[in-house]
Amino acid sequence: MSMQALSSLKIVEWAEGVPGPYCGKLLADLGAEVTKVEMPGCGDRARKRGPFPDDIPHPERSGTFLYLNTNKLGVTLDVRSRTGAEVFKRLIEGADILIENHPPSDVARLGFSYENLKKVNPALVMTSITAFGQTGPYCDYSTCNLVSFHASGMAYINPSDGVDDIEQEPPLMGPANQGDLVAGLTGALTTMSAVFARRMTGLGQHVDLSQQEALVSMTRHQLGNYTVEQFPWLRAKEARRPGVSEVYRCSNGLVYLICNDERMWERWVEAMGNPEWAMTELFADRALRRENWDAGKAMVEEWTMERTVEEVVRLAEASRVPCKAINTVRESVHSELLADRGHFVDIHHGEAGNITYPGAPYKLSRTPWQVNRPAPLLGEHNEEVYCGRLGFTRQDLTVMRAQGVI
Amino acid sequence: MSTQKLPLEGVRVVDFTAIWAGPHVTQWLAVMGADVIKIESNIRPDAERAAFIRTTTEPTMSAVFAALNYAKKACTLNMTNPKGRDLAREIIKVSDVVAENFGGAVMDRWGLGYPELKRLKSDIILYSGSGFGRTGPYSELPAFAGIVEALGGMCLLNGYLGSEPLPMATRGYADLTSAQHGAYAILAALYHRSKTGEGQHIDLSMTEVVGALLPEAIMDYTMNDRVPRPQGNRDVAMAPHGCYRCQGDDEWVAIAISNDEEWRAFCNAMGNPEWTNEDRFRDGLSRWKNQEELDQLVGEWTGNRTRFEATDILQKAGVMAGPSLKVEDVAHDPHLAERGFFVELDQPGIGVLPMAGLPWKVVDGPRGDYEHSPALGEHNDYVFKELLKMSDEEMARLQEEEAIL
Repeated sequence: MSMQALSSLKIVEWAEGVPGPYCGKLLADLGAEVTKVEMPGCGDRARKRGPFPDDIPHPERSGTFLYLNTNKLGVTLDVRSRTGAEVFKRLIEGADILIENHPPSDVARLGFSYENLKKVNPALVMTSITAFGQTGPYCDYSTCNLVSFHASGMAYINPSDGVDDIEQEPPLMGPANQGDLVAGLTGALTTMSAVFARRMTGLGQHVDLSQQEALVSMTRHQLGNYTVEQFPWLRAKEARRPGVSEVYRCSNGLVYLICNDERMWERWVEAMGNPEWAMTELFADRALRRENWDAGKAMVEEWTMERTVEEVVRLAEASRVPCKAINTVRESVHSELLADRGHFVDIHHGEAGNITYPGAPYKLSRTPWQVNRPAPLLGEHNEEVYCGRLGFTRQDLTVMRAQGVI
Repeated sequence: MSTQKLPLEGVRVVDFTAIWAGPHVTQWLAVMGADVIKIESNIRPDAERAAFIRTTTEPTMSAVFAALNYAKKACTLNMTNPKGRDLAREIIKVSDVVAENFGGAVMDRWGLGYPELKRLKSDIILYSGSGFGRTGPYSELPAFAGIVEALGGMCLLNGYLGSEPLPMATRGYADLTSAQHGAYAILAALYHRSKTGEGQHIDLSMTEVVGALLPEAIMDYTMNDRVPRPQGNRDVAMAPHGCYRCQGDDEWVAIAISNDEEWRAFCNAMGNPEWTNEDRFRDGLSRWKNQEELDQLVGEWTGNRTRFEATDILQKAGVMAGPSLKVEDVAHDPHLAERGFFVELDQPGIGVLPMAGLPWKVVDGPRGDYEHSPALGEHNDYVFKELLKMSDEEMARLQEEEAIL
């Protein structure tokens, strides 16, 4: 087993769903010790969301939960009970970092505000991931991935290319849990900044992460253009075919082609065998191509539809025109590229069995990403953590279990 | 005003990145206090400087460059000149991180691959961002977000029900999510270095980042041999869950209902219209099965009010709802304003304007006083005279020899 980058960090994750858990996963997958606190009985709500093997729901077999919670220890704890709250504070005492994604008013009501927790542990870094942050007029809004994505402007600018009559369609959320994953990702990054700050002062910090801000940050290109160039983003205008970079149909699938300057256009025309139509006035420069790309695309597709995806990619790349297949997840999982890179990993889980998961988003040469344990069963590490770490006896645990605390 | 230091103060980054993904990585580091030095040259500036300029007159300071490069320094080095590359080595010797996102093994060809960098400074951290990785069959290809999203399977999941694939056009989603994973990996590597004195090489492939963001779809395939299709604004279980037209020009509200309690609150908030009593909408499973009709009926209610009115009514009832904001709405959003998300910069060539900040907020923490995005070579004196302790004569000579260019 290789050395791990974050192995000396001790983290308590009091979070469910996607944002907090993805933050915890990023830290756990690089070696941090992450203890995940779940409600007794039902646990993290992600356990109820699939996909499930053979579509049979089971709290220990949710694909979403299994992926988001690799490498973590799992304990149950009802923090709303007095005993639970005390146990929680004891966990905090021994932690470097707390990750949580609860509404600010709930956190305050339970007595777990940063002001209180820093009395328990002055060196605690508390990362709060919420839809709109700890302050501001929307901070108590009820939200979910859909609402956050739309409130950031990301939905309005997605997609901008190639939809006919886009104003008939609503603005579009990204696939599955993009907004929530981005929030968790930004959480991990900002948490590490607080770890560095702490090294300077010995004191912890409260990191206030707003999912809306995390997503708005991704629209900085459009925001910059609007603010500086006074260029408003109009869906009807932006959704026109951009000419030429876009999706093209081939005989056996789809490709995405990039062609965004004159030289690339010339090379692409050459790759297609210098067809007559491409030399006409209609396509003479970038602006004209953009204007006339409905016609242009039809002409290109006459050529691409006579060839397979593989052929079109080969011919384009031979002329140094970026072009790749548009893969379904099936094709991506079996792609030569990702196989060569070893991106997908097989993880064995006691209840769910052997499943293939997406793996590391990065390769670190000295401290590689690795899976040391699969996602925890509900309460799997109660004894290890409560008895081993906090000194409770097994009898204490049976009482707490009967009382519904764990 | 806080006198706290920024967390990455004292960390120096030699920044060979350009365009979008790479500079976003280094912008995070700069905003957190690192001394980020962009390496460009007059013969090869960061191409983003010239991108999409419509109204401003400064030809090397586009709005999008300004939005992504504040808090950084810039110097000019001619990397095609061996003396220029030697100067780069001198800067690297006094730095902690080298960041690059070339389309191919450019660093290796310059004699600045990881093994060479390690000889210059044993604990150096090299960050290499690319579309497909620094190893593997596509390691020499440049990255484009649309291509990466296509290859990674995201395009075929992004779209309306039954639509063709659509790259997530936030210019580009793959770039910025990769950048954040990259910045995080750099911080983890810096942490490891602080404990052990060891640097390392980070190899980030944007296609693999895309995979990491699609676990549900990938695992539905690996578990069930099933290939998911785009779902528009729909959810795997919640209904209604969508985006509904409101009064106004292209204005919409997003609404999600996750249980019976929220449904009842929603019905009350709408004034309990007759249709909400129909059998096909009275329980969660039935709502799920009849969501097409449900969406139309919800749309009739939202169509009679503005998106902000609808949001207000529904949020007061405890229903998850929010406006679908346009770019200009975001720029003027009162919530973001109160949270101080936008950063006012006095940008030469453009003026005093609010730029999108980074979503990094520490309660009672230090607020950086950020410098505007740098002009080409703006910090040559700092880099060559201060850091490398060159005399004026030496610097003039190197400019003549076109090492500094």
